[in-house]
Parts: sequence; C-alpha cells; structure tokens
Amino acid sequence: MLPHNFLLSTLILLPLLGVLGIVFLHREDETWIRWLALVTSVVEFAASLWMLAGFRRDLAGYQLVEFRHWISAPSIHYHLGIDGISLFLVLLTTFLTPFAILCSWQSITDRSKEFFVMLLVLEAAMVGTFVSLDLFLFFLFWEAMLIPMYFLIGIWGHDRRLYAAMKFILYTMLGSIFMLVAILWLYNLTGTFDVPEIQFRLQAGLVTYFSGRTEMLLFLAFFLAFAIKVPLFPLHTWLPDAHTEAPTAGSVILAGVMLKMGTYGMLRFCLPLFPDAARAAAPVIGVLAIIGIIYGALVAMVQHDLKRLVAYTSVSHLGFVVLGIFAFNQVALDGAIYQMLNHGISTGMLFLAVGMIYDRRHTFEIKEFGGLATPMPVFSSFFLFACLSSLALPLLNGFVGEFLILLGVFAKHRAWASWAASGTVLSAIYLLWAYQRVCMQQVTVEKNRTLRDASPREKFILASFSVVILLMGVASPLFINRMEASTANLLLQTSPRESYLAHQVPMKTLPEYWRRIAPITGRATLTQALPLPSNTSAGIENASAH
Amino acid sequence: MHLPTNTSPDLCRIAPELVLCGFGILLVLLEPFTTRPAAKRALGWIGFAGSLGALASVRIAAAHRGVAYGGVIRVDDFSLFFHVVILVGVALAILGSFRYLDEEQLQRGEYYSLVLFAAAGMGILAGAGELVTAFLGLEMSSISSYVLAGFRRNSQKSNESSLKYFLLGSFATAFFLYGVAMVYGATGTTRLGNIAQAISASGANTLVVLGLGMIFVGLGFKVVAAPFQFYAPDVYEGAPTPVAALLSSAPKVAAFAIMLRVFYVAFGPVQHIWFWMIWSSAVLTMCIGNLGALRQSNVKRMLAYSSIAHAGYILVAFAASTEIGIAAALFYLAVYTLMKIGAFTVITHFGGQEERYLTLSDYAGIAKKQPVVAACFSLFLLSLLGLPATGGFLGKFYAFQAALDSRLIWLVCIAALNSVVGSFYYLRVIMTMYFREADLEQQWTPQPVAGPVCLALAIAALGTLYLGLFPGHVMALALRSAASLR
Amino acid sequence: MPMLDHIWILPLLPLAGAALNGLLGRRWPREMVNFCGVGSVTLAFAAALEVAREFFLLAPGQIPLVKSFWPWIAAGQFHVDFSFFIDQLTLVMLLVVTGVGLLIHIYSTGYMAHEGGYYRFFSYMNLFMFFMLTLVTAGSLAQLLVGWEGVGLCSYLLISFFFTKKSAADAGKKAFITTRIGDLGFMIGILLIFWTFHSLNFTEIFAGVASFPVETPGHLGVMTWICLLLFAGAVGKSAQLPLYVWLPDAMEGPTPVSALIHAATMVTAGVYMVARMNFLYVHAPVALLTVDVIGAVTAFYAATIALVQTDIKKVLAYSTISQLGYMFLGCGVGAFSAGIFHLMTHAFFKGLLFMAAGSVIHAMGGEQDMRNMGGLARKIPWTYGTMLAATLAITGMPFFSGFFSKDAILEAAASGPNPNRVLWALGLGGALLTSFYMFRLLFLTFHGERRYDDHSVHVHESPASMVIPLVILAILSVGGGWFALPKLEGGANYFFRFLSPVFHASDELAASGRGVEPMAVGTTLAAGIAHALWQPAVGVALLGFLIAWWFYIARSNAPRRLAESLHGAYTLLLNKYYVDKIYGSLVIRPLLWISTNVLWHGVDESVIDGAVNGSAKTVQSTGKQLVEMESGNVRSYATWVVIGATAFTSLLLWRLGR
Repeated sequence: MLPHNFLLSTLILLPLLGVLGIVFLHREDETWIRWLALVTSVVEFAASLWMLAGFRRDLAGYQLVEFRHWISAPSIHYHLGIDGISLFLVLLTTFLTPFAILCSWQSITDRSKEFFVMLLVLEAAMVGTFVSLDLFLFFLFWEAMLIPMYFLIGIWGHDRRLYAAMKFILYTMLGSIFMLVAILWLYNLTGTFDVPEIQFRLQAGLVTYFSGRTEMLLFLAFFLAFAIKVPLFPLHTWLPDAHTEAPTAGSVILAGVMLKMGTYGMLRFCLPLFPDAARAAAPVIGVLAIIGIIYGALVAMVQHDLKRLVAYTSVSHLGFVVLGIFAFNQVALDGAIYQMLNHGISTGMLFLAVGMIYDRRHTFEIKEFGGLATPMPVFSSFFLFACLSSLALPLLNGFVGEFLILLGVFAKHRAWASWAASGTVLSAIYLLWAYQRVCMQQVTVEKNRTLRDASPREKFILASFSVVILLMGVASPLFINRMEASTANLLLQTSPRESYLAHQVPMKTLPEYWRRIAPITGRATLTQALPLPSNTSAGIENASAH
Repeated sequence: MHLPTNTSPDLCRIAPELVLCGFGILLVLLEPFTTRPAAKRALGWIGFAGSLGALASVRIAAAHRGVAYGGVIRVDDFSLFFHVVILVGVALAILGSFRYLDEEQLQRGEYYSLVLFAAAGMGILAGAGELVTAFLGLEMSSISSYVLAGFRRNSQKSNESSLKYFLLGSFATAFFLYGVAMVYGATGTTRLGNIAQAISASGANTLVVLGLGMIFVGLGFKVVAAPFQFYAPDVYEGAPTPVAALLSSAPKVAAFAIMLRVFYVAFGPVQHIWFWMIWSSAVLTMCIGNLGALRQSNVKRMLAYSSIAHAGYILVAFAASTEIGIAAALFYLAVYTLMKIGAFTVITHFGGQEERYLTLSDYAGIAKKQPVVAACFSLFLLSLLGLPATGGFLGKFYAFQAALDSRLIWLVCIAALNSVVGSFYYLRVIMTMYFREADLEQQWTPQPVAGPVCLALAIAALGTLYLGLFPGHVMALALRSAASLR
Repeated sequence: MPMLDHIWILPLLPLAGAALNGLLGRRWPREMVNFCGVGSVTLAFAAALEVAREFFLLAPGQIPLVKSFWPWIAAGQFHVDFSFFIDQLTLVMLLVVTGVGLLIHIYSTGYMAHEGGYYRFFSYMNLFMFFMLTLVTAGSLAQLLVGWEGVGLCSYLLISFFFTKKSAADAGKKAFITTRIGDLGFMIGILLIFWTFHSLNFTEIFAGVASFPVETPGHLGVMTWICLLLFAGAVGKSAQLPLYVWLPDAMEGPTPVSALIHAATMVTAGVYMVARMNFLYVHAPVALLTVDVIGAVTAFYAATIALVQTDIKKVLAYSTISQLGYMFLGCGVGAFSAGIFHLMTHAFFKGLLFMAAGSVIHAMGGEQDMRNMGGLARKIPWTYGTMLAATLAITGMPFFSGFFSKDAILEAAASGPNPNRVLWALGLGGALLTSFYMFRLLFLTFHGERRYDDHSVHVHESPASMVIPLVILAILSVGGGWFALPKLEGGANYFFRFLSPVFHASDELAASGRGVEPMAVGTTLAAGIAHALWQPAVGVALLGFLIAWWFYIARSNAPRRLAESLHGAYTLLLNKYYVDKIYGSLVIRPLLWISTNVLWHGVDESVIDGAVNGSAKTVQSTGKQLVEMESGNVRSYATWVVIGATAFTSLLLWRLGR
C-alpha cells in the first residue's frame, strides 16, 4: 500500500531502486539484470496505475502534491504534483519503458548492465520532469534526461552514432541554457522558483518590472527550449539523426516521451505563465507548426531509410500538437494532449516494428525489404495496424486526436485547419507507400525469404500496443474527461486579464515585440536602485539563520 | 613595524599559517635523514598531516575573529572561508601526488614543504587587510609554485614551464607592486579600509585609477584572466600533473580572495569605474578559455583552458558587484577547487609513468578498463560542464542569478552561450572514454588505482555531488562571508 | 422492438466474423471459415429483415428512429455518441447491402475456393460489411466518417489482396490515397458543419438547416461551401471526375470484391451521403448544379472509354463509373429518390454483371481479355442467361429494372424541378453508349466463333455456389424495377412514395417554391410526358444494340476498320484520355522531385544542417586561431600582458573622465 502523499516520489525513486539492484549484480549474469530491469519497470507501471486510481477528475488543480523544503538560499522546494495534463504523460512513460526493455531483450548484448541502468535512470528523470512543480527541480530533471539518452545513442547506437549523440545533446543544451537564464530572471522578478507561486504572483500583477517586453523575452527563452525538443520546423534536424542512430529502445523513448517534454513544457509554462506573449506569438508559431506538418510529411515520403522515415513523421505529427496547443480552445487543447499520447503509442509501435526487422536484417534500407508479408504475415499485419493508427483511421487512436485538433483549430482559423488537414492525406501516402515497399509485392532479397515471423515476445509487444490503440480509439472519454478540468483551467489562466496587462503596453504582433526587445543592454548602474533586492536580503537572512 | 605587546591572540589568528610553515620547516629538516623510499613516502603523509592540521587550526583562528597586528591580517568569515577552500585543495593535491612522485623518483620532502609554504602564502593572501602584506603572500605562494612547476628536473617541458611561470609571474607581480605604490602615493596608505575612506573623501583621481589598473593586471595574471592567460596552458601542461592540479586551483582561489577584498573594500567607492573592466575581462576570459579548449587533443592542456573559462564565469559573478555576487563567486570557487583537483587527479592517475597517456586518443574505451575512475572523471567533467545535480551547475546557477540580479543580461547570455560551447569539449572526452573502442596500437592498461588517489577522488566526487544537491549550507556560509567584507 | 432497440448488434455481427476469421482462421479448415464468414453475414441479413419488420410497425411519428449509445468522443463543446439513425433510406440501404452482400459472400466460397489466404479474404469481406453497415446506419457525420474511411480501408486491403503482384499493391494504394484526397474536402466539410450547427448528429443538423435561407447563385454562403466540400468526398468515394482514376485499377482485386465493393455498395456511398444530406443540398442550388453537371459528364465520359476496353472487367468498371454518374445526375436535378432507385437496381444488375464476368473468367481459367473469348454461350448457359438479363437491365430495355430507374433520372433531368436539356442529352448519349458497349461485351464474350485454344482452356460451368447467386440476382435485376410499374399509367411509384418522407424537406421547399423542385414522381407527372420521354431512352437502347450487332455479329471486321479510320480518337480512348499519365507527370512526379531535392536535400541538409554544422565549424576554427596565438614565446606573452594593461588602464581612465 503506497501512501498517496508519497506516491510521486515513489514513482521517481522506484527505477533508481532497480538501478541500485542492477549495479550490485555481476555483469556476467545478464538474464538477472534483464529480469530485474523488467520487473522494476512493471512495478513502476503498476504504481503509476495506482496513481491513476488516486486521481480525482473533478479537480483542476495539482493533486498528490508533495512539498518539502530543500535549499534555503535561494529558497528552492522539492515540490511535486500532477494534474490532468501530466497524468497520462506519466502513465505513457511508465507504459513505454517496460516495452523498451522488452524490445532490447536480445538485441542488446554488449554492456547490457549499463544499458538497463541508463534506461531506468532515464525513466526516473522523465517521470520527475513531468511531476516537478519547482522550476529548479524541473530543470534538474530536464537536464538529467539528456545524459542517459546521450549514452544510449552514443554507446548502443548505429554507424553515425557519435555525430548524432553530439548533435542531439548540443542542440538541446543550446535551448535549455536559455531556459535556465529565463528561469533565473523569473526568480529575480518573482522571488521564487515555485511554479504555482510564480503563476499566482504574475496573474495577480504583484510583479513589478514585468513589462510586455520582459514577458515576451521570457516566453521566447522558454519556448526555444521546448521548440527544439518538440521539434518545431526549423529546429528539427537533430531528430532524424538521433532517431536513426539510436537503438530501438532509445528511439521508442525518444519519440514516445522525450518529444512530449517540449509540448508539455509549452502547456505547463509557456501558456499559463506568459499568456499574452503566447497569444502574440501564436500566429507565427501556428504557421511554423503547419509548415512542420506538411514539410515533415513530404520529406518522410521520400526517405530511403525506414527508420528515418518514421522519424520524420514525428515532425509532422508533433506539428499537429503544437498547432492544437496554440489554438487556445478547449477542443483543440484536449486534442493536442490526446495526440501527444497517441503519437507516443503509435510511433512507439512503429519504431518497435522497425526495430524487429532490423534485428533480423541489420539494415533500415527500404529497398533491402519487400514482400515481408509472405515470410512474416503476423508481423506484417501488426505493422499495417501501426501504420493505420498513425494515419488516423477512425476507431483508432490517431483519429480522435487529429480530429479534435482540426476541429478546435478550425474554430479559430479555418485556413490553418484546412492546410493542416492536408497532412492526413500525406500521411496516408508515405505510410502506405512505405508499407507496400516493405511488406507487399514479391520477395526481392533472398535473405528475406527465410525470415522468421514475430516471436511470442514480439507478438506480445505488438499486441499490447494494438489493444491500447484500439481502446484509445473507441473509448476516448475515459482519457479525455480526466483532462478536461485541467485544460479548462489552463484556458482560464491563459485568457488575457486586465490586471495582467495593467502595467504594460498591450502589444499586437511579434515584430513589435522585437522592436521593443532591442534596447535591452548592459545594466542599471549601481547608483540607481536595483529591483527588489528581496531575494538578496532573503538570502542573507536565511544565511544568518544558520 | 613594531609589534604590539599582547601577541597571543594575533598568533591564534595566523594559526593556520603557523602550522603550515611549521610543518614545512619540519619536512625540510627531516629530509636529509630519510633515505629509504618508504621513509620518504612517510614525509608525504607528514605533509598531508600538515595540511589537515592547518585545516583544524582554522577553528582556532575562527575563535579569534578580528584584525591581527593592527589590521595587517584580518580574520573574518571571508578569510576563513577561503582558508578552508585552499587547505582542502592543498590536501587533495598532496594526496594526488604520492603515487606520481614515486613513479617519477621525485619522492622528496621539499616537494611537500614547498606545497605547504605556498599554502601559507595563500592563507596570508586570503586574510591580508593591507596591500604590502598581500604582496608578501603573493610572492610567498608564487615563488614556491615556480619551483614546484619545475620539479621534474629531468623533463625539459617541466623546466620550460617553470621558467615561463617565473618570468611572467614576476613580471605580473611587478605590475601589482607598481600599482600598490601608486595607490599609496595617491592615498597615503596601504590599508584597504583607509584607502576606501581616502577615495570617498577626495574622490577618485588618475593616480588611484592607474594603480587600480596595475593591481588588476597583477592579480588578473594570478587568476588567469584574459588577456593575461597565455602562460597558463604552457605552464600547466609542463608542470607535473599534481602540481598543475594545485596551480590551477588553490593559488587562483587565493588570488580571487585578495582581488575581491581589494576591489570591494578598497575600491568600492569607484565601482562604477572598474565595472566595465571586469565585465570585458570576464567576456574575454570565457570566450578565450572555451574556444581555446575546443581543439585541444591533450587532456591536460584542455583542462588548462577550461580553468581559464571558469575564471571567466567567476568574473561574471564578480561583475555583479553585489553581495550575492561575491557569495556566488565564493561558492563557485569552492566547487571549482573540488572538481578541478578531482579532474587533474584522474589525469595524474591515467597519465602513468612520465605522463605518457595524456592525449585524448589514449582515453578511448578506458571506461571498460576502469569503469569507476571513468565514472568519477565523467562526474567531474559534467560538473565542469555545469550539469544539474553537480556542484558546477550550482556555481553557474548562483553566478548567473547574481549577474541577472544586477541586470547584466547580455553578460549572462554570453556566459550561457559559452557554457554550451564548453559542453562540447567536456562531452568529447566522455565520448572518447565510453563510445570509442581503443585502437590496437593503443592497447594499454592503466595502473591499478592507488589508495591515496582513491581517497582524493572519493572526497572530490562526494563534495561535488554534495554541493550539487545540498548547496544550502555552503551558500549560507558564502553569503555570510560576503557580508563580512563590509 | 428487440432488434431496433439493440440496432448496434447489426454491424457488430460481421465484425465478429471478421475477428474470428482474422485471428483464428489461419488454422481453420475451409468449412469453418465459410461458416464464420458467410454465417455472420446471413445473420446480418436476417437482422436487417427483422429491422424491416419492426420498422413497418413504427408509427410515422417515430421515424426517423434515433438510437444513441455510449459516448465516443467528448471534449469541450464537442460531443458525439455512437448513435444510429433509421429511416426509409437507411432501410433500403440496409437490405441492399446485406442482401447483395450475402449473395456475393456465397458466390465467393465458390470463386475463391482455389485461392490462398482464404481466411484472410473472408475476414476482410466481413470487416467491409461491418464498416458499410456502420456507414448506412450512422446517426452522426462522425460515425458516417468511421464507415466511410473503414470501407476505404477494406477496399485497400481487398484490392491488394494478391499483394505479391505489384500492380495489385499499387492499385490498392492508389484507391486509398485518391479517395483520401476527396476525404480531405469531406473532413473540412464536417468541421464546417460542426461550427455551423454545433453538432454532428443528423437530427440536430436537419433541425438547424431550416433557419438558413436558400442560397441563390448570387451569394454563395456556408451551405454551398458545406455541400461542395462534402461532395468532394463523394467524388472520391464514388469515382467521379476528376478522381475516378482509382476504380479501373481496382479491378486488380478478386472479382467478388469488384462486385461487392466496386459495383454494388461502397462506391454508392457517395450517392447515399448526398441523398442523406439532401436537406442541405436543397439549400445550395450551386452545389446541386455542380453535382449533376459532374454526374452527367462522368456518365458520358466513362461510357466513351468503356467503348474500346478489351478487358471484360475494365469495361464493367468504366460502366460502373458511368452509372454512378447517372445517380448523381438524379440527385443533382433534385430527384434524390430516383438516384437511390437507380442505386438499388444498379446494385442488382452490376453486381450480377461482375459475378457473371467472374464466372466467365473462372470458366476461362483466369482469362480476362474478351478478344480471346467468344462463342461461350453454349458452353456456360447459366452464366450466359444471367449475363443477358443483366445486360438488358443495364441498357434499359423496357420493363427491366434499369429501364425504370434510369428512365426516372432522365425524366427528372428533362422535366424535373431544375431541368437541364444539355445534361439530359448527355444522359441520353450515355445511354446509347452504354447499350453499345454492353452488347459489345456480350457478343464478344458469348457469340461469334471462339478465339481461344480449346485444348489449353477447358471451359466449364461454375459450381452451384456461384450459379445460384447469379440466378437470384438475375431475377432481381429483371423485376427489381417493378415498384415503378404503376407509373406507367400515371400511378404512384411505390418506391418513391416509400422514400418521400426522407426527402420531404425538399418536397416542402419545392411546394413552398423556396427551393429547387425535387421529383415527387408519379404523383405530379402526367403519364403523357412520361410516355413522350421514355421513347428516346428506349430508342437509343435499341439503337446501341443494333450498332453493336452490326459491328460484332454482322460485320466482324468493321471495328478494326473503324479504329483505323478514326485512329486518333481510338488511341485517345484506348489510353483513357491519358488522364493517369497527366496526373503522373503533373502532380506525382513533381511532388516527389520537390520533396527529395528541394525540401530534403535542399532545406533540410543544405540550409538548416548547413547552418548548424557551419556555425559549429566557425566556432572551432576561431578556437583554432586563438590557440595559434599561443606561440609558446615568453616575449609575446609579456607583450600581451602589456597590451592588456594599457587597454584596461585606458578604459579605466575613460570611465574616470565621464
């Protein structure tokens, strides 16, 4: 029996516990290591189900909150909590990890000990990112995610893994460092790292020196970090390399969860903290998202490398999510969150399938395949199922998300919705074409004739995903009505408020913001008073308290 | 100058320095009587004991806060903080050098005594309340370091390094002395407090400002700030690795101590004048350090450049010119000492006899050979990189926060970009250790880890993590020390 | 009302069959697969009959009957349940789909007997039945979309059933994607509908329409947009110009598939949707005009191509396209009932034609080219007889089903609510061509001397499992039109009267003269006009027969000579107006080229990655230059110290000066 007031910490600590166990195992007995990792992740999943059970759908605010004092100067708290937005993302994480472990069951032979350690550490970090409500804590987990993924790509990746790993981590760090600066700046403005607290102070207009310019700068700093993670159109080039080079488990986690970190961050920070900036930037972001949808699809269409193809589809699908987020209405918002889950499941399944044929043939080249349906009928039908879910066939999960997003966006901007909808046609093209070239027609490569069909383990993996896909396709209310309260609340916070705009020039367009950003420079000379040295004095008081 | 009659509390106030010098002399005396290597190693432990003793005696000093010898030496939280940092650094450096000296047949008492004397000098620097005393400490630490840098007599590089260090060092010190003279000429005093009074009374004049500049040159050289950083890579690379560990940490810390003191106490009133100097020096230092490190194939040299870069980050905190800025700098220095010495200790360990394995390619696949050490090294590197949950991150965190608090937005952005650039070369080392397989001709097995090294690494690693997860206490101390400067 | 209350069971029956066959069928014997596959459809048919029984017990007030069950999607203002909408139109579609579907399933047991993947075939067919039933019983556009996309999927699966053939795989993909293009419009139309009526349930929508004015060609409002967008979906699904290209290729699928999906049911979904949405269409004359123009043109255009096809199934495919055109023509001119009527009869005779053709192919051992057939009449009499019946029906010979339905459409086009002489003429021309190519098919296949090698091909009549369905459908295609008999003496057409409640909105509008005038056939039309009008229709049918007879029986070398004399036109038709080629070179290849060279190699690799790696390189090279300043030379270092000192002191002095 887990006490609810300690549940989230348990979710973070459980994988680390498993890590501890694995560390003490000898690297020779790999079976034990594998099983321990698997058991840990399954227990973790069970625990997260427990969390789901304890979640009250009627509450908009944070639940299962934990609040402990951590660092005195500056005051940083160990503050955890979930709401309808993060709930299912945590579940997604804990659901995908066991399968990431399962799919590495035989394919990872070299240094398997480190591998599973990394996976579990990664899981802990991801869960932590989703549940932490203190900016410092959030940033800590956010960065902590990078290192395990860096190792996963770098050690167990494919040919160009070094380049990919370095590109991945540098890209991300470039974004997050500016987020760090923004976090600190926000601290200097509000005197706290606590997200709800900051939100309250901003919304209540308690923050002096919070001009529209400042808000926009902060928004952009946060947004850059998240946009790189998503990835939004011009910032996406790390993704194909990272996905293609990563081992299957890595790709699954990367596509399944880590990309969601970006969109989650937008929902958790960009919108509620800087609503006006968000609204001002929405036109530009929306256009970028649509470009991403179409661009990603078109580029995916012409890939020769199956895994790269799947990677590019993420650019397209995440475009939908971003579009939904910045449509600022309930339908689109629910759709966006739902689509985040869908993408995690569908693309996860696609990557797993791709990994399975890689295990057999050790290549991703599409022309190396063809006619796989003859030797591997079961696998092929599952693969087709994954494709269908990814191309948003009604009664499968993808449709619900995309339809809601389009519906919501349409209310705000008809042209956008229409352009975005064209993504559904393109997705049909690239997926079915890929499927035809991989599974249909005659077997062209001799090796493929003798490939064995999906093993029981693989069948289990694929079947579980299929069940979830179907469930999410026909029973979406089960999920969505647990989000509604929070999304409605989020929209409420995002709606422009007078008190919020009281001491700042309301501004219309992004270019205008830019013009105002320009003059920021240097510093106020010390002769003129610095803004609220509150934190300074607070720090010193804390200090003298010791 | 005549000594006041009642000297015992004053002696207590300089207790750490006394202990250090005592042990140093003891070692010199014992040296002739020790012939067997075992005995010589014992000398090493005596040296280590000396540093620990000094560390303990800091408590004595702490019990007698105030000024010694009529304001020549100040014992306040600030100096105590620095004493601890410096002595910990020295202790770790000593631990790191046992095995090394054995292998190089350099196991000699004077090595340790030199280290201790240098430490004493640094202690004086940290506590100096008056410029001439500061000069004294500066020379005391520098001269011993010059000798230490050249301690591998039979190695050409080592001699070169020593010579360079000596020439440039004395050149810079000359600047410092010159500056002191000018300030004295302008204000008629060398006591920091009085200088401040004089300046605020009569306003700043050209002479004072010139003196200020000269002093900055002298100290900037010691803290390896651009454009006075050129010597550092050559010197660190040439110097014996444990010495490099010491040089890159403790003297720098001490120099920063006196720098902060001089600029905030003596030249506080003319802050608006020297601010831009610090600002530009910070930018230069960060950029040169990080960009320079990018292309280094020699790990030792790479770390040298990284230490330049870190001097830059510390200068960012310095430039904030507020109390939290000072505190941030203090905290940063504490973390910096731990992770830097840790990193250098690992290099010492891997370097093997005659520092054979120092190039990046030697580190290929080393993670498989000695996973634990590799893990420690990665920890230090990640901390230098500034990854959360390590001390390095909080160092940057506080520094940036302080700078932002003073609205130094551009400076912080530059620093941020720099840390991204920096992450490249740290990660490259990790990449080589873990991702690459060793080439056939580079199949070498590193020596087993020696006990002292183990200890040093453990302390450094744990310290780095502790400061990364629970920085509260140390930061509180730093804040108090900063407050005590007033 | 057991069945009506649990109407949701009806579509689930075939789904169960599909699931069982799909999951377990691989290890099952054929009999078991048959039992599941055919049994589930039989149950569905029985259920449909039961539904019909109960339906006739309903009071007029209870129609349309709407049953809504558990919620499917609910987010914000948007809420849609799994719900069912039963009215006369639904009923007709239910019976046609389940009835014809059942016959074709039975037929398949014989036809597919020797094919691999037997279980897979029946699983797909049942799945199709599930989606088709969902489509026709849907209570909301969202659910209709489920069926709509679902049948598309099944058509994809079944067309590429022989997936080892590249042509089959291509055809399946082409079908899915082409229809998806139309569905893009359909989707957007649905979005527009939701934000116009704030619901996707038919009842709310139909209730909401009333408050909208009928839009004149002068001002095109939301109604016109909605209808046009929805029609885009219909154009894709029902293979009209310009998106018809997928249907001929779809003949790659097994013949029963062509019969069920690409003749009888799925392709008519578009017509059904337009009829279902007649409330909206009557508010948008421009949309209606578009519908009937596209319908008429397609009807004629496809017929011309059918003239010269030599593959027996291809002829039928183009004929299907053309017949669908007639249905749209009917709806377009406001005679929705006529359109649905033709939909039904077409389901009978076109299903039959395909199955008979299948039987021929079966008899010829897989041969599909009519040039290698001939004189089969005596060898396979049953097939011949049924095919003859179907041909007479489709060509509209008097008193065969096609006669009544096609006639009703032409009538409407001539003298309906919004008559259009040009379209009527096109329709008539189409009828002529229809009759010609159908008899051509008949003569080439069954008459004349045989043009195949008697020893290699052993011609044999198909088994009972195939013949019986043929016979049943033959009866239907002969008598399927007799609902309309009374009309001959100006009486009321039962079928139309039965359907009139569905289209009563249009009728009311017609009556109040606000909107276009839909047919209230029989009740309003004088027998005289009818008499005057169905002459030409019959005339052209006979004419077509005569020409065909002249060409292929009397002067069997005439076709060649004609082809030679009109070489240009002939090749044009033979190559189907080069439409596929045009699409290929105008759309597909440019798209691929741009994606590859501009977007991928251009933007992605050159521009963005170029910038990324470039900046990285610049940083590195600057670092390199910096390092090169490390000369190792003490003097230069000292110089730097001095430079630094000067710079800083001057900076300080400058600050001091200010």
